[in-house]
Amino acid sequence: MDAMPWLTLVIVVPLVGLPVLALWRPITDDAARWVGMAATLTTFVVSIGMLAAFETGQAGLQMVSKHAWVESVGLSWFVGVDGFSIWLVVVTTFMFPIAIAASWKVEHQVRRFMAMSLFLESVIIGAFLSLDLLLFFLFFEALLFPTYYIIGVWGSKRRIYAATKFLLYTMFGSAFLLVGIIYLSVQAGNQLGSITFDLTVLERLQLSAGQGRWLFLAFFIGFAVKVPVWPLHTWLPDAHTEAPTMGSVVLAAILLKTGPYGMLRFNLDLFPEASRYFGDSIMVLAVIGIIYGAIVAMMQTDIKRLIAYSSVSHMGLIVLGIFAFSAESMDGAVIQMVNHGLSTGMLFLVFGMLYERTHTREIAELGGIVQVTPWLAGAYVVAMLSSIGLPGLNNFVGEFLVLLGTFSIDRALASIAIVGVILSAVYMLWSYQRAFQGPLEPRWSSLRDLSWREGALVAPIVVAMLWIGLHPAPVLERLRPTAEQVVVRLDRFGPAGIGVEASDTTGEAP
Amino acid sequence: MIDLIGLVIAIPLVAAGVNMLAGKRWSRGAGQGAGWFATGAMAASFVVALGALLQLLSLPATERTQVVTVAEWIRAGATSVSLDLRVDPLSITMALVVTGVGSLIHLYAIGYMEHDARPWRFFGYMNLFCAFMLALVLANDFLLLYLGWEGVGLCSYLLIGFWSDRPKAARAAKKAFITTRVGDVLLMLGLFVMFMHFGSFEFDTVLGREGSLPEIATGTATAISLLLLGGAVGKSAQLPLHVWLPDAMAGPTPVSALIHAATMVTAGVYLVVRSHTLFEISEVALTAVAIVGLSGALYGGLASIGQYDMKRALAYSTMSQLGFMFLAAGLGFYPIAISLLVAHAFYKALLFLASGNVMHGLHDEIDVRRLGGLRADMPWTAALFAAGALSLSGLPPFSGFFTKDAILEVASHDGVVWAYVLGSLGALISAWYIARLFFQAFMGRRRYEGHAHEASSTMRAPLVVLAAGGLFAGIVLAFTPEGRLATFLEPVLGPIEEGHAGPSTAVLIAISVAVIFAGIAIAWRLYRPANEDRWISFPEREPGMSGALGRAFYVDDLYGWVVGTVGLRGAAALTRFDRTVIDGAVNGVGRLATWASGLAPVWQSGKARRYALSFLGGGAALLLYAVVRI
Amino acid sequence: MIDPPRVELWAILPVLILFGGALVSLLGAAFARRSEQAPFALFTLAAIAAAAASALWLWDREPTTVLQGMASVDRLAVVGTLVLCGIGAYGTYLGFHYFERDEHRRNELYALLLFALGGMALLVAAADLIVVFLAVEVLSLALYVLTALTFRRGPTEAAMKYFLLGAFASAFLLYGVAMSYGAAGTTSIQGLARALVGTTGNQALALVGALLLVVGLGFKLSLVPFHMWTPDVYQGAPSPVTAFMSAATKVAVFVAMMRVLFVAFGPLQWDLAPAVAVLSAVSMVIGSVLAIAQRDVKRMLAYSSVSQAGFTLAAFVSPNRAGIAAALFYLIAYSAAVIGAFGVVMLISGGIQEQTGFDRFRGLARRRPVLAGLLTIFLLSLAGIPPTAGFAAKVLVFGAAVNAGYWPLVLIGALATVVGAFFYLRVVAMMTMQEPQGDDISDASPLPQLVLAVPAVSVVVLGIVPGVIVPLLQEAGVLTW
Repeated sequence: MDAMPWLTLVIVVPLVGLPVLALWRPITDDAARWVGMAATLTTFVVSIGMLAAFETGQAGLQMVSKHAWVESVGLSWFVGVDGFSIWLVVVTTFMFPIAIAASWKVEHQVRRFMAMSLFLESVIIGAFLSLDLLLFFLFFEALLFPTYYIIGVWGSKRRIYAATKFLLYTMFGSAFLLVGIIYLSVQAGNQLGSITFDLTVLERLQLSAGQGRWLFLAFFIGFAVKVPVWPLHTWLPDAHTEAPTMGSVVLAAILLKTGPYGMLRFNLDLFPEASRYFGDSIMVLAVIGIIYGAIVAMMQTDIKRLIAYSSVSHMGLIVLGIFAFSAESMDGAVIQMVNHGLSTGMLFLVFGMLYERTHTREIAELGGIVQVTPWLAGAYVVAMLSSIGLPGLNNFVGEFLVLLGTFSIDRALASIAIVGVILSAVYMLWSYQRAFQGPLEPRWSSLRDLSWREGALVAPIVVAMLWIGLHPAPVLERLRPTAEQVVVRLDRFGPAGIGVEASDTTGEAP
Repeated sequence: MIDLIGLVIAIPLVAAGVNMLAGKRWSRGAGQGAGWFATGAMAASFVVALGALLQLLSLPATERTQVVTVAEWIRAGATSVSLDLRVDPLSITMALVVTGVGSLIHLYAIGYMEHDARPWRFFGYMNLFCAFMLALVLANDFLLLYLGWEGVGLCSYLLIGFWSDRPKAARAAKKAFITTRVGDVLLMLGLFVMFMHFGSFEFDTVLGREGSLPEIATGTATAISLLLLGGAVGKSAQLPLHVWLPDAMAGPTPVSALIHAATMVTAGVYLVVRSHTLFEISEVALTAVAIVGLSGALYGGLASIGQYDMKRALAYSTMSQLGFMFLAAGLGFYPIAISLLVAHAFYKALLFLASGNVMHGLHDEIDVRRLGGLRADMPWTAALFAAGALSLSGLPPFSGFFTKDAILEVASHDGVVWAYVLGSLGALISAWYIARLFFQAFMGRRRYEGHAHEASSTMRAPLVVLAAGGLFAGIVLAFTPEGRLATFLEPVLGPIEEGHAGPSTAVLIAISVAVIFAGIAIAWRLYRPANEDRWISFPEREPGMSGALGRAFYVDDLYGWVVGTVGLRGAAALTRFDRTVIDGAVNGVGRLATWASGLAPVWQSGKARRYALSFLGGGAALLLYAVVRI
Repeated sequence: MIDPPRVELWAILPVLILFGGALVSLLGAAFARRSEQAPFALFTLAAIAAAAASALWLWDREPTTVLQGMASVDRLAVVGTLVLCGIGAYGTYLGFHYFERDEHRRNELYALLLFALGGMALLVAAADLIVVFLAVEVLSLALYVLTALTFRRGPTEAAMKYFLLGAFASAFLLYGVAMSYGAAGTTSIQGLARALVGTTGNQALALVGALLLVVGLGFKLSLVPFHMWTPDVYQGAPSPVTAFMSAATKVAVFVAMMRVLFVAFGPLQWDLAPAVAVLSAVSMVIGSVLAIAQRDVKRMLAYSSVSQAGFTLAAFVSPNRAGIAAALFYLIAYSAAVIGAFGVVMLISGGIQEQTGFDRFRGLARRRPVLAGLLTIFLLSLAGIPPTAGFAAKVLVFGAAVNAGYWPLVLIGALATVVGAFFYLRVVAMMTMQEPQGDDISDASPLPQLVLAVPAVSVVVLGIVPGVIVPLLQEAGVLTW
């Protein structure tokens, strides 16, 4: 355990700015922006400290710190990090300052905007790091309101509808999750004598196959809505589209990841047998999502909606990687969470910059703007290429690993899923052609190209993309041990493994 | 020099970066700084490759496969890929073609792009392309090869669409990328199967060392080979994934010359030849290669006859020539395939650049029906084009003869009669379409207004070099004792087993010469200046045979209908389904709740009577429960 | 030689203080001139404080029953009384502020508040069904009058309905008491328990009695289907009165319900729990769903209070400390939030004008950021979104229910929460995400905002560290048999 409580720090630091923004009414807008910027940057620095303290090659949880919080309820402040969460936290802290800077032009209620952003960052990181189920759920639910608020207040025309839809849909999912969590803790109470939400304790519970499977489903629904797994996806296009740039970036880059992360952390860990049991069906759902999302994306006339549906497709790939239960696909899924964060985040970021200039999302209304804004278009192209999985850029690594791993498990599904690689090129390039190429729409003839400030926002993401794309080893070797450990554990519950399981020491009843 | 082979890739890569970021500075005004910079980079890279070649030649034939490790790339699960480069006769040959022809085309492009608004961007892309192409050919494992493979695809996309304000160009770029992506996906699947069987992507593991065949079941080998072939078909524009190549001509001509004639499109051939050991294990795969090749050769040739757009005609001719390469590979004559690849790089680049000169001189006029008689205005260009045509047609002693006709010769000697006969037909067609092009464009009366100015020196010099190469590379590569390409490649590709079936070499030569002249004769008969009125009046879409040729047998139209109509309708339907059914269900729940909520006033009318009634109802229910419970 | 009955009046000191205060301020209201109401308010607050202090003083007493088993002295009663006093204090202040704006004073308000409080304090300490009945009657009468305090037409009509149905409910209650007596030969709560555990009790009759009591009490808790008076009354009554009764009545009656269900009829738990579960489920669902269509904030909150009662009731399926502690915590969280909510509504709707339509709330965040912020916190807590007390409360209640094996009930509840989130947050959306409409009639005086900040803060604090009170509540959850 590290001397420095990095994890607690990285969760708390964003909140430091909160009292200033909340209480100090006369604060000027610019000051508020800088407070937000400073807080998020500090968080990033802290997270780098955490990354440095992280021991590569360790499969288990690190920097674990546990303090009883509400004994009477069984809630404890129990945080830890491992290969699954480490990069998600870093990408979160990495994207937030950028998102804040990208929202510099927000003129309306800047104080609240920054306050909400900081609160959001804190709870998201909390969700990624907490190992106490109730604590996790607390964060998982707490991130609803700020998101709702950001979409609803600073979003575009149908923002309230989108925000409400997002909120209710996600709460619907977490309703099942909550019941599942409470049921588990009660089981703990019956079996161990004391109610607890401690993941490391709950994973040793004796659950009948039936219990395990029902609980798995309860958890899965909760996370599947967030991912979103087809057919629970329709909140996403609305939320992404109506949200302000900040919202879209954070939503796409980070929020969605709480879904697959939850599956990795909780579903696989708590209900290995059920995971194997439902694995195949979920893979099918994932593949449907990949193809379906891509096809629907193709037909969108609104670029943000298009990117949103592309997210549905890409997240499907991640879920596929998780439930293929092969070492490669698991690695791929985890790194793909980071990659999707970077590329889709950047797509929304760059398009947001364009939107600030044109105030239209309709592909048809744009056209030919590459001639006046070559650098902006260039940035968009880079993000686009990354998102369609061009080798040398980040996404390829994840896609390749996921598909490779899946192929070794189920050739048919992998061969269908790989069609998504073609389709992604279709919808991306087609929309690019219509929106950026061709003859220039006269009314855009005086469009400004990227300013230095905007370029400075994009550059770090591009660097990260190239780095992961060309030299992913540093990323992979930190997450691989965890993934392999999980896969090995799950293998014992595989179709062959169930029989063995009866006499197994870790005690999950088959 | 071999240890520095990384530079061959690094130099153009860095140059590309510099040009794209800073090229604007030194490209202001008339001086094409960016162009010269890029050309210099290519030349430097060429020199390094040449040095590597010399060092390789200094080694004994058995030690001419060198692997240079640069860095680690991916390591995950069991996958482990370190970034190695492979220097062996095959890869160095390819590298020399890319850098050599590449430099010349860069040099040419300086003049060609002089009026462009953003030359630095153009040359940046060109250098980037060369870097990826070199990575592709120098790779020592299929993963790096795949990186280069997709990379060149990307650059082709960027360069075809370079004049993105032209809708045609933008559309063509997208079409090229997506069509080849289909092949790329097959290739990727091939890599998966490969990895499942070998647990590695290394050439040595997958393809076996020093010609020794890898140990693998025939079925698996067939699967891998066919999937690789799928990739090759996409990149090399063979049936049925060829539709992108003619449209790709919407890009600047140097691009057509470099990417869509000399280098990228030959990547497919390289892939097959490189992994010939796998193909050899499975008879099926090899035959498939031959069939793909032959059909491509004939189809491309015929389609080329029907084109009035010089560049489109040349594009189909490229497809046909690549077909011959695949045919050679499919028959197992790998060295011949490679030497045809080299020779073709020269003369096809030459032909493209020559037609580029025409476009440059006549502000982008390229339709032969509006050209003609260019001999007078552009003597140089005419002569150079003729040289290219001669080499392509395969008349002895020009390089086409030592390469293309070599295929037919060996085929006949090995008794592969169908290949010989159909191949000869292909040869006839080649002679026909290329001669036709020359007659229509350069002879007869001029059908254009104004004066077509001859190209500048920087646009002629490289053509002269290419012409020399195109004409005489054949002889040099075939007869110089040490430099004989076939022997040089032997350590990698093995010897050519030449049988003794069929007529003797002399007879074969006679036949092929006859065939070629026949082709030229047909062309002269149809398109000689005397009866040009017969064809210049032809409309774009015409009925009957020549119409079919013009539309390349309507394959593209068919695809267009399938994708554009059927596909889009389906997608639209699915999108409606998403909005109405899936999202409709979600909103439906909301509406249901609101509706149910709206029912309240019906009962909750404010009448105390009703309140009491429901009160009683509740009480009664509870008591009923009690009764049941007792 | 029979020794005279011992009269341990000290044990019901809070009740006596409250009733005494009520009488005094009633006389005051009768004789004093109608001008000045501040002295009345201060006096009332003082009485409430005294009652609270005396309740605290009882905290460490050995749990027992006094006055021939009529009233019980235990920590449940103490906690109940304290919470009630808190609510009463707020009711007093809000009422004071409310009628400050009105030309003619209503000083009887304070007496009535104190009567109601007294009745409630008696109810939480009741150890005999007769006392339960009496206490309910006392507090009800006070509330009827309070509802009609402004003599407006709407409120009077509402009060009338409330009174009629109340009488109806009282009948059920009384009948239930009679049945219980028939079943066990006693109306003492502990007596019933002993009789029913033993063989002397008639289980069947007892069950009927218990359910009749549930009906009677359920009316006060506005559980479905006994809830229909609620919207009319909550909307009609002056906002401070609504705030007071929506919180206080539930606290008092639910505490009584604990004694009735867990002690008196504890032995019948397995027969009662399913009925309770059903009541809870329908209340949660129907309350939430009906709230959606409302276009008036007070009416919407009325329906929400129906579903909130359902949530609280969910804890009653688990007859143990955990269940009681959960229910108490839920009640406290709910009271804080609902008092705050109605308080803010009162300020926004222009006090006596009672303009509580949605339009008043649009764009409020622009005009009155503080009020909007406070209301947002209260609504979030009612919706049960972290980090507010409402979330912790729901987790506790659900935990108790699942523990008793009622996870389907919890699932229903969790889904009802989603519906709840819809209409609670719609108000937030109106305040923060829409443009202001019409002229601003909201009351911007700082003091009430400051006062209302207290429940807001406590809602958040309880949300983050519920541990500060849960142990106490668990101690209060120990009931003597």
